[in-house]
Amino acid sequence: MDLDPQEYDNLKVSDSEVLKIVLSYLVHNCFKETAETFIACSGMKRTADCSVDIDKRKPIYNHVLEGNVLKAIELTNELAVDLLSTNQDVHFDLLTLHFVELVRAKDCAGALEFAQKELRPFGKQDCYREKLQDCIALLAYEEPEKSPMFFLLSMDHRQSVADSLNCAILAHAHLPSYTSMERLLQHTTVVRQRLNQELGKDGPPVFTLKAYLKG
Amino acid sequence: MGGDNGVGPPPLKRLKLSIPTAKAVPGDSLVTILAPPMAKDMPADDGVTIGSRGQIRKLEFVRIITQALSSLGYKHAATALEEESGVPLQLPVVSDFRREILAGLWDESITTLHKITWLDDETVKLASFLILQQKFLEFLDSGDTSSALKTLRSEISLLGINTHRVHELASFVMCPSREALSERADWRGANPDSRVCLLEQLQNLLPPALMIPENRLEHLVEQALEVQRKSCLFHNSSEHLLSLYTDHRCSRDQIPTRTLQVLEAHENEVWFLQFSHNGRYLASASKDLTAILWEVVEDGLVKLRHILRGHQKAVSFVAWSPDDTMLLTCGNEENVKLWDTSTGECRHTFNKPNSCFTSCAWFPDGNRFVSGGGDKSIYMWDLEGQELESWKGARMPRINDLAITVDGSHMVSICGDKDIRIYNLEEKSERVIEEEKPITSLSVSKDGRYLLVNLVSQEIHLWDIAVSSKLLFKYRGHRQGRYVIRSCFGGSDHAFIVSGSEDSQVYIWHRQNGELLEVLPGHSGTVNSVSWNPVNPHMFASASDDHTIRIWGLTTNIDQKNPNVGAANGIDHLENGGTRELLENLKPFY
Repeated sequence: MDLDPQEYDNLKVSDSEVLKIVLSYLVHNCFKETAETFIACSGMKRTADCSVDIDKRKPIYNHVLEGNVLKAIELTNELAVDLLSTNQDVHFDLLTLHFVELVRAKDCAGALEFAQKELRPFGKQDCYREKLQDCIALLAYEEPEKSPMFFLLSMDHRQSVADSLNCAILAHAHLPSYTSMERLLQHTTVVRQRLNQELGKDGPPVFTLKAYLKG
Repeated sequence: MGGDNGVGPPPLKRLKLSIPTAKAVPGDSLVTILAPPMAKDMPADDGVTIGSRGQIRKLEFVRIITQALSSLGYKHAATALEEESGVPLQLPVVSDFRREILAGLWDESITTLHKITWLDDETVKLASFLILQQKFLEFLDSGDTSSALKTLRSEISLLGINTHRVHELASFVMCPSREALSERADWRGANPDSRVCLLEQLQNLLPPALMIPENRLEHLVEQALEVQRKSCLFHNSSEHLLSLYTDHRCSRDQIPTRTLQVLEAHENEVWFLQFSHNGRYLASASKDLTAILWEVVEDGLVKLRHILRGHQKAVSFVAWSPDDTMLLTCGNEENVKLWDTSTGECRHTFNKPNSCFTSCAWFPDGNRFVSGGGDKSIYMWDLEGQELESWKGARMPRINDLAITVDGSHMVSICGDKDIRIYNLEEKSERVIEEEKPITSLSVSKDGRYLLVNLVSQEIHLWDIAVSSKLLFKYRGHRQGRYVIRSCFGGSDHAFIVSGSEDSQVYIWHRQNGELLEVLPGHSGTVNSVSWNPVNPHMFASASDDHTIRIWGLTTNIDQKNPNVGAANGIDHLENGGTRELLENLKPFY
């Protein structure tokens, strides 16, 4: 960082705050064993059901990552009955992901049937129409990974769907749907950006995590 | 590049983007685009031309005649011509191709397409796309989704073009029913018509010398007829079909230029007149406080039907209801009267104190009308006397004339001196056209597209008011000072503009080129208003300060239809039984 260390050496950050930040990250991402070890090692007070909550969330997350979308949906519905109906976006993403998996498996008839049954209602809403069209268009290709919509088959896409489901579940349980670490980083970035805009060369440079980590 | 009809985007657009050379330069003979091995099938274009100007290539001429014979159903004659002239209509491979398309033999047609060796790759791909798209849509139409998908995946997609359309086709697979498909894809169904349509589109892709566009000869002839019709100055007939035997040219005597009748029932200046929409009646308004209803009987004679009395002041305006059962009259007073035209009785008097209505106009539903006048307001009424709406305010100046377009969408008025206000009744928005000099009257064409205004500067201006306002023509020659002189459209297709004038004559111009065609003397006072019979293009009427109305018709009419009228003895028998010298029935001097 280019800031003069003297500027912030005097600021004290409490230990317990830092512990909470780390824990929130671990819990959010379902690192159950790590979280438990961390709690034990750091002497933090245990909050009651964080492990239970992780136990429920982790399988759902993993199922999505592996492409077992229907199983993930089933478990989600067990966990929180109305979650998917109130989170249309997440529901849509999950269903289209399943469709994409069927296409990947070359099960065209199955994919088409699934689309006609489950995806058609979404087609009536403008906000989903374009995404839906992109998904259906995959049917036109014998090698969908070579089509313009290849990103739908990528791991990154699965990850982002899994993440958004995870956040929705956390929000549903009235837990924060973002980690404090994430927020802090976002915060820093925005603040530095503003300063940069206002002060120009005289101010601090724009914040990037990569640059920061390098030293 | 999405498609907007059932069988693909307009090929011409795509051609411009991707293949500059796919179409043969017009005029190239077959030989120049055929590879040498094929050339022996078609005769060389030896450059022989026919026609008086040497502008027609004989080879092409023979081919389109063969095509015309064939499409008229004279197959033997077509074949005989091919043999005798040695010019085949099209190469056998092209005949095969056409046949296969119409029969729905898609795979075979693509194979044949590839056999036409002098097409470049792009064209072949585009054509294949269209054919496969048809195949795809026909599968979907018959409910065979899996075959449709297979076509899409293994054939269409592989062409590697038109990705947007490919995605669209994929989405059609989701259509739940044939109706949904036809709506979304603009698909006309798996019937012979859509295959004919496909053939037409393929034709546009291929060089025209290879596959001549359908009905080429008919198309050329219709173009020629159009040119003839447009250039016919005096064209004024209700006949729609032109003959092919001679060039069409109407002679001057297609325009009514002879006074057939002089109607003398009014006792003072006649200010306004108008034919009914069905052309069977005429209404006139006069300073003698009356309006008169006339009937056009057989032979074009006009007879008096009813005299409408009741106004306290001079009547200056009449307006026929859209169905001609009612007439509105207004004068320089605060009353507008509604009359029943069959009985001549006054059905209602609309009154607005302190107003001075100068004009009124009906709505197309015949249940409402607007009236405007000197108190700077326009009122909308229903037939019972209810005032429905009014436009008033400081911004409204005196209304001199009012009209409503035939479709009821716009109200046009002359406000103040020089402004024409076009008010959109649905959107409640307005446009204003500013004229250079004060306007005395306006007239809207039957299609609502054109506007005619008389200016005190002795000009009549024609405006196009369809979307935005454009001045098209100025007509000059007549005389107009401060009086209200009216003009109107006339003749078949509104080909003429006719106007009154302060020099007692009637003026007729050609609308399209502004040329003054006729100046007709006859009246002995300012001609205030003219009305052309909307149904009979050979009849119009004029109203004058000399207390008379003249009915004008064709010169040829006189001797046949009404032996009493004519210059032969100079005597004319008048409507009320009198006679009068008609020495002024001279030929127009222009």
